[in-house]
Amino acid sequence: MEAFSDDILVFIKKECSRYETRRSAIIPCLYKLQEKRGWISPEQIGQLAVAMDIPPVQINEVMKFYTMFNQQPVGKLHVQVCNNISCTMNGSRELTDHLCKTFNVKSGEVSSDGRVTVSKVECLGSCDTAPMMQINDEYYENLTPESATKIIEKLGK
Amino acid sequence: MLNCKVNGKEIKVKQGTLVIDAIKQADYDVAHYCYHPGLSVAGVCRLCMVKIGDNPRLQIACNTPVQEGMEISNEDEQVKDAVKWGLDFHLINHPLDCPICDQAGECELQIQYMKFGQYDPEMAEKKVKKRKVVDLGSKIVLDTERCILCSRCVRFTDEVSKTNELGIFNRGDRSEVGTFEDKPLENDYALNTVDICPVGALTSKDFRFRQRVWYLKNQSTICTGCSTGCNVKVYYNEEGLFRVKPEFNEDINGYWMCDQGRDVYKFVNKDFRLLEAQSVTEGQAEPLSAGKAAQLAGEKLKELTKVNGPESVGVVVTGQYTNEEYESLFDYMVNKLKVKNIYHWVNNSDTMDDFDGLLLRGDKNPNTYGLKEIMKKYSIQTNMSDLEGAIKSNTIKTIVVAGPENQAVYPDFNERASLFSQASNLIWFSAGPVSAATSKHTLVIPTKTYAEKSGTYVNYKGTHQSSHKVTTIVRGALSLSDSVTLMSGESILTKPVGPQKAMKTNFFVNKSGEL
Ligand code: SF4
Ligand code: SF4
Ligand code: FES
Ligand code: FES
Repeated sequence: MEAFSDDILVFIKKECSRYETRRSAIIPCLYKLQEKRGWISPEQIGQLAVAMDIPPVQINEVMKFYTMFNQQPVGKLHVQVCNNISCTMNGSRELTDHLCKTFNVKSGEVSSDGRVTVSKVECLGSCDTAPMMQINDEYYENLTPESATKIIEKLGK
Repeated sequence: MLNCKVNGKEIKVKQGTLVIDAIKQADYDVAHYCYHPGLSVAGVCRLCMVKIGDNPRLQIACNTPVQEGMEISNEDEQVKDAVKWGLDFHLINHPLDCPICDQAGECELQIQYMKFGQYDPEMAEKKVKKRKVVDLGSKIVLDTERCILCSRCVRFTDEVSKTNELGIFNRGDRSEVGTFEDKPLENDYALNTVDICPVGALTSKDFRFRQRVWYLKNQSTICTGCSTGCNVKVYYNEEGLFRVKPEFNEDINGYWMCDQGRDVYKFVNKDFRLLEAQSVTEGQAEPLSAGKAAQLAGEKLKELTKVNGPESVGVVVTGQYTNEEYESLFDYMVNKLKVKNIYHWVNNSDTMDDFDGLLLRGDKNPNTYGLKEIMKKYSIQTNMSDLEGAIKSNTIKTIVVAGPENQAVYPDFNERASLFSQASNLIWFSAGPVSAATSKHTLVIPTKTYAEKSGTYVNYKGTHQSSHKVTTIVRGALSLSDSVTLMSGESILTKPVGPQKAMKTNFFVNKSGEL
C-alpha cells in the first residue's frame, strides 16, 4: 500500500485545523483522496484515520453515506442516475435498467471495456428536471431512455 | 422541582428531567427504542411520541425537558396512532425471523407490537435484504437485517467504552450497522451492546441458541468477578445458570458490567463443581456426604489441636466468601480452637490494584475488603510467605483452606495446592474439584457458590452489599458458615430457605392468561 504523499498530508493537516472539530474535515479529505484514482479503498480509509486521528468507522460512515464517494473503481464515464423520489416517479428506475442493458453492465460495476459505470445515486438537487443523471461532473436533465443513451454514446466517442 | 401532569396524574420532577423519564416516574409505559438513560439522546426511533398540552404536533418525549405546568399525555388516541404507524415503519424491512432469533421473548419489537401495534401491514414493496450472521469476533454475532438503527450500540462504543468500533453505514433503507471492515468487536465491555440492543441484531455467542428466554427465571445478585461488585441479574433454570446481565446501581456500576463478569456464572454450574466430599487417606479416596465430612473435620481439628497444639494448625482464607462466613470461621478458629495462624491467600498481588478506569479491577475477589476487616478485628497479622517455611519445617502440620470459588482467577492455584499438600493433614473447602490436594490425609468439602447462598460482600471502597440466594445447583454443598456449625459439633437447621420470589423474564409469560 502506498503511503500518503506529502502534499496530501499537508492538505489533511490544514483541513483538520480549519474547523471546530476534526470530523468536519472528513468530506474535503475524502474528495482529496478520490481525486487521484477516482475511488477510495478501505486501506486508504485506515490511513486517513491515522492521519486525521479519527476512528476509521467514523470516516467510513461519512464515505458510505454519500454516493459521490466511490468505493470501487469506476469507468471513464461514471453515469450516476438519480433514484430518489422525484426522479423515480418520473421513470428513473426504468432509465437505469435501460442504460445497464444497453451498455451491458450491472449497476455499480464497470463495463468490461472499462468505459462505463452506471450507478444509482440519491437526490442531486435537480428534482425539477427529473429524471436526471450526472456523468462525471456534468448534469443531464429531463431525460428519456433514448436521449440518455445518445448522450453517453456521444461522450464515449 | 417542577410540577407536571402525566396522563392526568400530578407529579413533581427535578429540573431538567426529560418527559420520557417523567412518564416512567409516573409509572406509565412509554414505547421507545433509541433512548437509554446511560447514553446521550439520539431521538431517532420516533416511537416515544407524546402530546403536550394542546400542541397539535406530537413531540418526542426523550428530547423534551419538562417545563413547569406541562400536561403530558401518551394515552391520547393521536399518540397511540403515531406509535402504531411508527412501528409499522420499523417493521417494513425487518425479517421477522423470531422463531430463530435469540431476542424473541424479550424483544422490544414484539413487546411494543403487542402493546401498540396489532395493525395490518400495508407495505407492498419487497423487503430490503441485508447481511445476516456477521461474525464480530469471539463474543458477538450481528444480524444487520434485524437492526432497527436505534444507534444505542454506536453511542455505547463512542461514549461509554470509548472504543469507537461501531457505526451506521449507507443511508435510507439500506442503512446498516457494523464495524469498519467487519473488524471484531472485542473491547472489554462489548457485551453491553447486546443488552441494550432492543432487538436481536446483536447477540451473544455465549448465550446464542442455548435457551429460550421464557424458560429462564432471573434474580438479582452481586457479581463476584472482582472487587467492584457490580449489581447483576442472573438468568437460570433447573439446569443451572445461563447468563448474567447488569442491573442499575448508580454508586457501583451504573448501567453496565464488564465482559469478564459475564462469565462469572460458568463455575457455578454442575459440570465444574465438586458434588460430594472426598476423604483421601494415603491415596485411597472415599466419597462421603458434605455434612459427614464437616463433622469429621471438626473432630479431627479438635484432636489435632489437643495433641499438637493450636500452633500446628494453619488456616488459609481467600477473599471469595461473605462477611457472615468469615465471622463464623474466625469465631470458630480463634475463639474455640485458639488457632491464630490465619493467612490471607492473595491470588495476584502484582495486578491486585489495577483498574481499567471504568469498572474492572485487578482484585479478582468480591470480598477482599471484608476479609481484611475481620483479620483486623481479630488482630491477625500474618504473611502468606511465612506459611511456606512453617510447613516445610513441620511446625504447621494441618492446613485448613477456605479456597476460591472461582479457581480460574487463581493462577497460583496448583502451585499453592501442592505446597499445602506437604502438610500431613489438609482440609479444603472448595466449590470445584481440587485434584492437586494430595496430603497424606486430605478432606475436600464441597461449598456453595455465591449464587447458592445469601450474605454480604464489601467492595473495594467499603460498600456493603447483600446478595441473596438465587437457586441451588449442588444439593450436597454447604456454605462455610454451615460447615463451621457442623465442625463445632452442632447441627444445622435444614429449614428449607426458598429462594426469593423469582421474576419470569418474559412479560407475556406472566400475562399469558390475558392474551
Ligand atoms: S444493532 Fe441493535 S443497538 Fe445497534 S443500532 Fe441496531 S438495533 Fe440499535
Ligand atoms: S467489573 Fe468486576 S464486579 Fe463488575 S462485572 Fe466486571 S468482574 Fe464483575
Ligand atoms: S430526486 Fe432526482 S434530483 Fe432530486
Ligand atoms: S426514544 Fe425518543 S425518539 Fe427514540
